[in-house]
Amino acid sequence: MKKFLTLVLMSVLSLGGLGAAYAENYGKQKVAYHINMDDEKTLKAALGNMQNHVTAVGKENIDLRVVMHGPGLALLQTANKDPDMQDKVSNLKRQGVHFNVCANTLKSKKINYKTDLYDTSEQDIVPSGVAEIAHLQSQGFSYVKP
Amino acid sequence: MNEQQKFSDEFINAFIDDQLTPEEKAQVYARLSGNEPLSRQICELRKVRDMVQLAYKEPPMPERGMASFAAAGRKYGVGLVAGLALIIVGGMGGWFLHQSRAPQDAAVAQVMSNPEEPAKVLFHVSDGNAEHLKTVLDEVENLMKFYQQTNQKARVEVITNGGGLSLLLAGVSPYADRIQRMQKEYSDLTFVACQNTIDRVQQELGLTAKLLPGVVVIDSGVAQIMRRQHQGWAYIQV
Repeated sequence: MKKFLTLVLMSVLSLGGLGAAYAENYGKQKVAYHINMDDEKTLKAALGNMQNHVTAVGKENIDLRVVMHGPGLALLQTANKDPDMQDKVSNLKRQGVHFNVCANTLKSKKINYKTDLYDTSEQDIVPSGVAEIAHLQSQGFSYVKP
Repeated sequence: MNEQQKFSDEFINAFIDDQLTPEEKAQVYARLSGNEPLSRQICELRKVRDMVQLAYKEPPMPERGMASFAAAGRKYGVGLVAGLALIIVGGMGGWFLHQSRAPQDAAVAQVMSNPEEPAKVLFHVSDGNAEHLKTVLDEVENLMKFYQQTNQKARVEVITNGGGLSLLLAGVSPYADRIQRMQKEYSDLTFVACQNTIDRVQQELGLTAKLLPGVVVIDSGVAQIMRRQHQGWAYIQV
């Protein structure tokens, strides 16, 4: 019986257009991802979570902000050298995901965003990562800590 | 058969209600480390217990921290507060799970958001690693400075439970002096300790937990976090 159910599930999942049906269920979402860890495994998993999240909700239905501070800047530092992570970040950006970097951390860790962080420009910098996360929540963003 | 299934639901409930012998409790703790499903189950059950207690009686009100909630109970009747608590349980169900707490609180935050209001931020600290605690204090202090520099009103609560309590224990906290200085420097910053954790520490380690001066005690860290989110506070896990 279990096997049969699995089969049915697999065949249903393989049907196209199902993603769209799911997306309607989730409606519009505003989400802030809080990144302050530098463990590479966790960071890669976090990027995977984000991609799954965007896919599930639909890129036109989600406003996803990644807020990095403290050790979390490792995400874009690692992406600077790691082609696999670059792909993941670029793909997410193409789907409208914002990657925001804490100015306090840049200053205290003496990080040059132009050379040390992957594909980061001035409009990606926020004054304080933590204040940004608090602010986003006051604007109706949900909080996700991968 | 995984390890979790070796404990019956009854046994786990007895653990949560603190009705086990020290040996039995030790068994649970031994099993808990590295067993995420079991930890999560216990966490969920504890949360439910906390909320049920909140719903059916006024929680104990140690010191000033919980005054407003108690006042609400008196003013609007325990029934309404109970109702609220149940709504919180429903609305925030699953919030505890690290990855899936996303959608529920958005609506709450939206309702509560008001440009005239001060920023309201809670930090949740449950990890007692000394290096981690330093990062926590750095982040809290950076945020306080940010609000000062940008002339924003803000209320910030640092809520500790589990291992995070060590931040606020006299004789244990590596940063007692710094916390005292921060309390003086930022009047809108409050350090909060969870009574449940204090009780547990006292029972299990057989020592009297003394808190740093100025620390506010609340009945349950988890319940306090839910209350705060319901009141429109932003949540930051550090």
